[in-house]
Amino acid sequence: MSKTKSTSERNGINKEQCLGSVINRALTCNSQWPDKDEFLDVIYWGRQVLGVALGLVWGFIPLKGFIGLFLFCVINAAIVYFYASSFQGIDEEEFGGMWELTKEGFVTSFAGFLVMWIILYSGLHYD
Amino acid sequence: MWADTLFIVFISICTALFGEGLTWLLVYRTEKYQKLKAEVERQCKRLEKKKEAHGDSIDRQQKRKIEREEERLKNSNRDLSLVKMKSMFAIGFAFTALLSMFNSIFDGRVVAKLPFIPISWLQGLSHRNLMGDDYTDCSFIFLYILCTMSIRQNIQKLLGFAPSRAANKHSTNLFGPQPQQLSGYK
Repeated sequence: MSKTKSTSERNGINKEQCLGSVINRALTCNSQWPDKDEFLDVIYWGRQVLGVALGLVWGFIPLKGFIGLFLFCVINAAIVYFYASSFQGIDEEEFGGMWELTKEGFVTSFAGFLVMWIILYSGLHYD
Repeated sequence: MWADTLFIVFISICTALFGEGLTWLLVYRTEKYQKLKAEVERQCKRLEKKKEAHGDSIDRQQKRKIEREEERLKNSNRDLSLVKMKSMFAIGFAFTALLSMFNSIFDGRVVAKLPFIPISWLQGLSHRNLMGDDYTDCSFIFLYILCTMSIRQNIQKLLGFAPSRAANKHSTNLFGPQPQQLSGYK
């Protein structure tokens, strides 16, 4: 029992260290990404945060109509593009081209953005 | 509207957790699934490595070997889908019952206001069972689907139940092989 616990604790510490290292590299420019999936995960979760943040901003302003949707798509794609190519300076071909990076987690992020936008817009401006 | 929208978000978090819990109980924890998943991941990595190593200068023998590997991977993927099928049916029944219950609770109720007018083929969903012609009125089902799209995928990823990217790339969907797979045959 104690052996199992100590193993899980060790794994927990390893996981935390690994997560810390990934966050550290994600925030440092021109980091090395030997594991491609780690970088794609950073893009994925970054996108989710961005989607929710943009949804909150659009809801507070409030932005209306297809311009809101269009601006989200443009800003979302542009930030990921500049983050990957300029900030991290990665070779996009290693990840299957810029299209693969641009669409990583896009649908989920879009759904999160819409939920936030709709909830705030309805709650703040229609209640 | 706050109460309705937040309640729908809560419902979709609960149903996503329930769905994943049920799938874990019926599929993820079984030895057969874990074995097959590991097998698919291993085969995917081997195939990727082979394709990368040979690149464009591929002779007929190598091509045949890669095709054989792809065939094996396809079979493993099919077996994996069959194992998952059991839980998909269980979840399908449970969710149909839950959805019809929530549909009757929110029947004819505007749960939110959309900040945009959805395109015509989405209006059937966003304006389902609602009176009037104001297409910015949002029905329960539309918000629930959006919440589920965002929450379920993230929960799967957080819990580590989402299929790996390599496996996703090689799995076939209802509409046939994905473009990346087709490019492998060139």
